[in-house]
Amino acid sequence: MSLWVDKHRPKDLMKLDFHKDQALRLKNLVQQSDFPHLLVYGPSGAGKKTRIMCLLRELYGSGAERLRQETMHFTTPSNKKIEIMTVSSNYHIEVNPTDVGIHDRVVIMDLVKNVAQTHQIDSSGQREFKVVILNEVDDLTKDAQHALRRTMEKYVATCRLILIANSISRVIPAIRSRCLTIRVPAPTENEIATVLHTVCKKEGLSLPSELAMRIAKCADRNLRRALLMCEACKVQKYPFTSDQKVPEPDWQQFIREIASMILTEQSPKKLGEVRQKLYELIIHGIPPDMIFSGLLCELVRNCDMSMKCQVANHAAEYEHRMRLGNKPIFHLEAFVAKFMAIYKKFVEESLGDAF
Amino acid sequence: MCDYPDPDEEYELMYSDEFELMREIEDKTDLNPIKNKPLPAKRSLDFSNHNANNLSNEKDDKKVSEKKDDAISLTPSLQNMEDVLIPSTNSSTKRTAEDLFGDIGDIDFDSIELPSKRQKTEEETDMDLINKILEGRRLKQMLLEPTNRVKVDKKVNFDVKKNISINIPRWSFVPITNSNGDRLYIRLESEDSWDKSLDINTGQLSLRATYASAWEEAHKILEKKEQERVQKEEEVSEVAPHGENQSAMLWVEKYRPHSYLDLLSEEPVNRALLHWLHLWDKVVFKKDVKMKDPQQRNSFSKRAGQFQLTNKWKGKKESEPEIDEDGRPHHKVALLCGPPGVGKTTLAHLLARLAGYRPVELNASDERSAEAFRNALVSATSMRSVLDAEKRPNCLILDEIDGAPVQTVELLVKWCTTTLTEGNKKKSKSQPLRRPVIAICNDLYATSLRPLRPVALIVTVGCVTVARLASRLVAVASCERLKVDSRVLSALAARACGDIRMALHVLSFLRSKSQLTIQDIENVAIGTKDTSKSMMQALQAVFTLEDGKSNDILRTIQAAGEYDRLIEGIFENYLTARVDSRLLIACETMSWLLFYDTVHSWTMRNQNYSLYGTLPLCIARCHRLLASRAQHKLKFPMQGQEMSRRKTELDSIVLSVWRGSSPNVVVNRNVLRLDVLPLLPYLLSPTLRSANIQLCSESERQTVRVCAGAMCDYGLQFIQQRTPEGLYAFVLEPDIHKVAFFGNEERVRTQPAIRQAIAREQQLEMIRRNEEMAGRVNPRKNNEATKNKSEENTGEFNSTDGTESRLPNHLQRLQPKAVVKSTPQLHKDFFGRIVPTAQAHRQEAIPDVISSSGVFYQYREGFNNAVRRNVRLRDLL
Repeated sequence: MSLWVDKHRPKDLMKLDFHKDQALRLKNLVQQSDFPHLLVYGPSGAGKKTRIMCLLRELYGSGAERLRQETMHFTTPSNKKIEIMTVSSNYHIEVNPTDVGIHDRVVIMDLVKNVAQTHQIDSSGQREFKVVILNEVDDLTKDAQHALRRTMEKYVATCRLILIANSISRVIPAIRSRCLTIRVPAPTENEIATVLHTVCKKEGLSLPSELAMRIAKCADRNLRRALLMCEACKVQKYPFTSDQKVPEPDWQQFIREIASMILTEQSPKKLGEVRQKLYELIIHGIPPDMIFSGLLCELVRNCDMSMKCQVANHAAEYEHRMRLGNKPIFHLEAFVAKFMAIYKKFVEESLGDAF
Repeated sequence: MCDYPDPDEEYELMYSDEFELMREIEDKTDLNPIKNKPLPAKRSLDFSNHNANNLSNEKDDKKVSEKKDDAISLTPSLQNMEDVLIPSTNSSTKRTAEDLFGDIGDIDFDSIELPSKRQKTEEETDMDLINKILEGRRLKQMLLEPTNRVKVDKKVNFDVKKNISINIPRWSFVPITNSNGDRLYIRLESEDSWDKSLDINTGQLSLRATYASAWEEAHKILEKKEQERVQKEEEVSEVAPHGENQSAMLWVEKYRPHSYLDLLSEEPVNRALLHWLHLWDKVVFKKDVKMKDPQQRNSFSKRAGQFQLTNKWKGKKESEPEIDEDGRPHHKVALLCGPPGVGKTTLAHLLARLAGYRPVELNASDERSAEAFRNALVSATSMRSVLDAEKRPNCLILDEIDGAPVQTVELLVKWCTTTLTEGNKKKSKSQPLRRPVIAICNDLYATSLRPLRPVALIVTVGCVTVARLASRLVAVASCERLKVDSRVLSALAARACGDIRMALHVLSFLRSKSQLTIQDIENVAIGTKDTSKSMMQALQAVFTLEDGKSNDILRTIQAAGEYDRLIEGIFENYLTARVDSRLLIACETMSWLLFYDTVHSWTMRNQNYSLYGTLPLCIARCHRLLASRAQHKLKFPMQGQEMSRRKTELDSIVLSVWRGSSPNVVVNRNVLRLDVLPLLPYLLSPTLRSANIQLCSESERQTVRVCAGAMCDYGLQFIQQRTPEGLYAFVLEPDIHKVAFFGNEERVRTQPAIRQAIAREQQLEMIRRNEEMAGRVNPRKNNEATKNKSEENTGEFNSTDGTESRLPNHLQRLQPKAVVKSTPQLHKDFFGRIVPTAQAHRQEAIPDVISSSGVFYQYREGFNNAVRRNVRLRDLL
């Protein structure tokens, strides 16, 4: 817990830095005896998990902070042994069912049943339910989501579910309607800057406000990234100067490079080079949809309005097809090829108009 | 007679097409003047059909004339004569030229061909006959006055055209003198206009289509001719005896080669095996092996050209002796391999017999357990048949050995090798292998054959060439008195893909048919071999354009089967396949690849194979887009696999970090990958002024401590590793730099000295945390202990150390315990009397201090375990 991200994570609902009214409402929610299933969603780095942990602390006291890591074993109906890592305290268990890919249904069924069927040992003065936290619910398979539906109702007496998702568009409506959905929006850049300031103050450092703003801008409204960047800045150079270089995740830079490559030349040869770069990105595990959106953002800057629509349209189409298929590299390259064709045509036409 | 100057004629030939075209234009503009002349009124515009027409015309002519011969009088026969005569007399040189160029026959002797042309357009033969007779008469008249005719001809032909004049023209020209000495001038045209006219021609008539139709027509005609011929023959030999065909023997058996010369396999192969068999002569027949001198061998290999076919052989020739000290060949076993139906078994049997052995076959139908095999081996190699009249030694032939169990093969190998090593020492006990063993397999690289391969002489029997197979089929057909055309047989041979057995089977299946045509061969369903193509062959086919084989590509793709690999191959090679500056082909190809991907993943996801059949069509579409005549080198699709390999490598790094990270900081894997890991290397590379941690300022030390803490949180470690240079270096484990950076991984590496400092700090940190964990696991005990201690402290001494426990552990040690000394104490002596303080102080203060401190050493002679105390590591830090 020595990184700022972990060290200065608020532990109490009232100490959260932003969305304070929401925090207050959550506190009220917990203080009432009943408490429905929750579906917390919002972009990465907005503080979903922080809020949930605060909530748990509010529910169960500091015992919920004693975490341990365990590996649980399950057997699929096809007799395949799968194991999954869980983080749990005495009062809750947190699991990421998508780690086991298509077998997530088994995990959900077994795990939720297990937890729900065992009552709290010491129910006096405690809540009579445990909490199961499921991460990345939007990436669950449809089967798993349907399995969740019934379990949610059946074991409501002994177990509450807190689902975490980035967006609820891929969560089936049946689950959405069974949960209290709580949206945690990404903090604004100003909010990030204030958080950075408070953290630096706690650390006894002085942070120039320009640098704070720059970090906030670079971080893409992701507080976790902002804090890590700030600390990296500190490690690289302290005392801070306002024009200091902000270290960025390398993959963002890499996507930018690819975009500039595409814009400099449109030819099959270049396309081949771009493919190698795309391969690199995929190898490093950058999700293809993020590559799509990153590329699109960079490419669209150099287009005029009509082309922007066209390019965005194609990007959406190819991304959709990518989700249907299972070879992301094909779809990425198809998009790049399409963009090159459009761009080249556009450039040639505009050159033709010039003469 | 025809003494046109050569260049002129050439010119005429060259431009004949053009002339014709012009003439046609003329024809269209004013028909009347031409109609009046005895020149062709209607000309076939389609001169691509010309050859075919000519052919058919000639034939028709002949037919007609024959009919006329049958039917009527002298005049037509005379005309018939003229048909033959006129061309030869008029322009014999022209004829040869026509043979060369094909379609220029119509400049001079259109008049002769005219009748037949007309006849072709009109179908009614009677009218034809009449017309022909009339025409013939007119022609005959013209023949009688050749000069006239030529003149008229010339005029008619060229006057109209303004391309030829009798006077010296104003335009550029080439002079021509005809057989009669008349001088003509022909317009000379530039290359450009010639090209242009060519373009027009080709534009009017798509070249391929016309050729195709011409070919088809020619084909039809040939077929028809063939049929006629055969019909006639059949009529003649209708009574050919069919009795032999009913013989019970399979043709494969019947026409098995009976002598060395009958063998269809490659000569070097046969020789290699025969030579190896002869090497046994010394052991088996007690006669010296004739060693051919290397000179001769070399010359042979040069002649055969394919001697490297058995590379074992070649390598051995130089290095190893062919015969070992026992007088047996170096390789005890010969391993024949090759596709089915090429005659491996036949070859083995025949050569064994030829070399003077009695072949004993052991194949898959026999029991091949190790025990049975041993019996067979022993009986075959060490006994000889008694009943057999000719007492030949045995030669064991192990057919289909690739299906044999591994133990059997191992036994065989052991048999060979033991005799090799122990045969000399204790000959009495284990009989060495004294007979040749030939093993036959289809798949040389079958796993069960792995032990056999190094010890065996490997002879690869390749496919029989189509020509040899066809000639053999012809021989068989003639033996069977089948009336089959040789073309049909060669088609059959090509279809069999070098499989003799199958070709013979198909032939014997089809013999019942009275007449075999190519169509029969093509259409017969039974003869199709399930041809398997390699993935690379199919890929090559996708990228190369071949005429008239548009359907073949689909078949090839389906034969190759590995659609996924094929698609990957296309994906890796399509960018270089064709010139595509606007990337339109690329977009189109990609769209098909995407379609493939969508369908394929749908199929796999739902396990519903109803759309599986569409997958090869996608590839065929790609072929349409990408095929070109240019040869290019295709890359084997490796990228995909390479990518997934590297991906799993990096994934495993992320996974290990994720698993190793402590529960307080654990985040999603994706978050870890996208946010934390890319920035962590920056955090782990502090800049210190000095590598020695002791010389650093407090803030720097703090930084190092933060680094160490972060590394503990995320389960990272600096591990000392020995570099190839023999130095020790601290390496981050797991190596998150690989995940964080793209290519330039060394950019934010920590300096080695700092790494060492961090590593040390981290180890301390880890110990601290473990202590904490241990404290947490049994907190009560720990608490009690501290409580006791503090009670003790407070009870006995005035100083309270309540805050002490909260201090960082490593600072605790620095607190001197000397404070206790100052506390006043009551000391009693043995009898309970109070000892004066000064004395007590002098006597007992020192041991007391020792006993109250956590660690103490005391020197005692001998052994004593009276003083024991738990020492926590925490106290040492």
